[in-house]
Amino acid sequence: MVLAQILLNGVLLGGLYGLMALGMALVWGVLNIVNLSHGALIMVGGYVVYYLFTLAGIDPFLALPIAMAVMFSLGFALQWGLLNLVVRSKMLNTLLITFGLDVVLTFTAQLLFSADFRTINPSYAGANFAIGGLTVPTVRLAAFGVAVGLATGIWVLLNKLPLGRAIRATAQNLTAARLYGVNPRMLYAVTFGIGAALAGAAGGLYGMISNLTPYIGASLTAKSFVIAIIGGLANPFNVILGGIFVGVAEAVTALYIGPTYTDVISFGLLVAVLVLRPSRAVRAA
Amino acid sequence: MKTRTLILAAAVAVALAFVPMFGSDVMIQFGINALVLAVLAQSWNILGGFGGYVSFGNSVFYGLGTYGTAIAMTTYNLPFGVGLVIGVVLAMLGAALVGVPILRLRGPYFAIATLGLNGAMMAIFSNLPIAGTNIGLVLPLTRNDTMFYELSLALLVACTLTVFWISRSRYGMGLIAIREDEDAAGTMGVNATLYKVTALILASIFTAVAGGIHAYWSTFVDPASAFDSTLNVRMVIMCVFGGPGTVFGPVIGSFVLSTVYEVLAAQISTAAALLFGVVIVLAVIFMPRGLADIMRDRANFTLRYFIRNIRENRL
Repeated sequence: MVLAQILLNGVLLGGLYGLMALGMALVWGVLNIVNLSHGALIMVGGYVVYYLFTLAGIDPFLALPIAMAVMFSLGFALQWGLLNLVVRSKMLNTLLITFGLDVVLTFTAQLLFSADFRTINPSYAGANFAIGGLTVPTVRLAAFGVAVGLATGIWVLLNKLPLGRAIRATAQNLTAARLYGVNPRMLYAVTFGIGAALAGAAGGLYGMISNLTPYIGASLTAKSFVIAIIGGLANPFNVILGGIFVGVAEAVTALYIGPTYTDVISFGLLVAVLVLRPSRAVRAA
Repeated sequence: MKTRTLILAAAVAVALAFVPMFGSDVMIQFGINALVLAVLAQSWNILGGFGGYVSFGNSVFYGLGTYGTAIAMTTYNLPFGVGLVIGVVLAMLGAALVGVPILRLRGPYFAIATLGLNGAMMAIFSNLPIAGTNIGLVLPLTRNDTMFYELSLALLVACTLTVFWISRSRYGMGLIAIREDEDAAGTMGVNATLYKVTALILASIFTAVAGGIHAYWSTFVDPASAFDSTLNVRMVIMCVFGGPGTVFGPVIGSFVLSTVYEVLAAQISTAAALLFGVVIVLAVIFMPRGLADIMRDRANFTLRYFIRNIRENRL
């Protein structure tokens, strides 16, 4: 029974992990930028929802779309004004510039929001219900639902809509897409904006489940990274599955080996995937 | 390389050796930190700059050097020199063990695989009783900043001389060939795996000694300071800012950035880190090949050079 409860917790948290990684996988797959500031964008999104809730009194789940719009604009502006300037450079340089962005976002957040722990704490934060002897926390279930819903939205966007076709075409062959009338600067900015919007939604949900501080970015980037590799960059549902895989692995490790080893496990999984099946990871990119 | 550059570099090294005679305590302490960081950037340069394999895991060797020295000195009461040797051996073993499977991965996948090494090592050392678990170890106190300064400087000189040798040797040519095209290098008879693993082991030696010196100087070691993941990032940035794959670029880059950071921290304490981030962003946009590229030819220091860099890389 304990194991079943642990597995359930892992699955619910894993859905959120998958949502965190979704934006990173999209930007990585299409723009070929490994965005080291992705975790910082999640953090900023969390603060946007926090302030919409505490200052404007908007329900956090209703604040998610607003936060996504704000984060889309931020992401669009960053790509348009900054990252488009270096996007054809070596991968090392795009890694470095997004790391610089991560530092800027983290310490701007520290100046603006202070280093205090914040939690988005609506009246129903502690609510839960029981099914077959298992306790299901309502907020985590809702977060899982939002994650799956957004992944479905991204899948529809990529596979059924003209914008998605343009995004996929650009990911396959930038020059050819350009010949067919895609404006790459605009498309890159829109894609990065969508990635940032997904990070914003993940941040809002993360703030309801855990604590927000300006410094959570780096560890969330690393986690997103692992999941993006395990899930691959092509299919949004696989990214969510990758998140669930990591969430369950972490929960089981915490139960049987000890909570300090959860980082070792997600790293071990990553290396195992890379070393044992590198072809899969390479194809995904 | 021009003889003038070499003479200048030797003169700077000699001048730096005399700093403790005139500098204040604060100056010497800043110097030790800057020199240790320069060693880290320079050793990262061996595999990262020449071989083109970006490692985000080199801080693991720093941590192993730190713990090797600390455990030898506290638990077994061995002298500092023996501790350093134990740290270096640990780091070399670590580099070989990690390098052989992970260096089969290419390009960004190698970088990704090294990313989590640090966290994993930190978790392991937090649970080792011999390493003092989470609490850490306290080393015997030695109040002799001048000695630590000269040791760090000597280590930087040794590391830079090694890189200088690499830059002119057949071995270095092999690493550069791997960076430019690994398959072609293999066809020309370069044993890529051997070259990459030895490059990682070479880097681990200097990194571990730097860790050991810093541990003895700061007299305290715990998992968070030994396996500090920001250290990885700092060494990569300093090397790339200065010029990866050059002999003096990483040293110049780390001295410049250490100074910038120190000045910013003194002037505007809270915003210092923020402005450090801004410096990185601007450096990548305007001088993607590093400071060394500008200094190689003074004609490069023009507005046109910066505009050309943007033209080359923008969408």
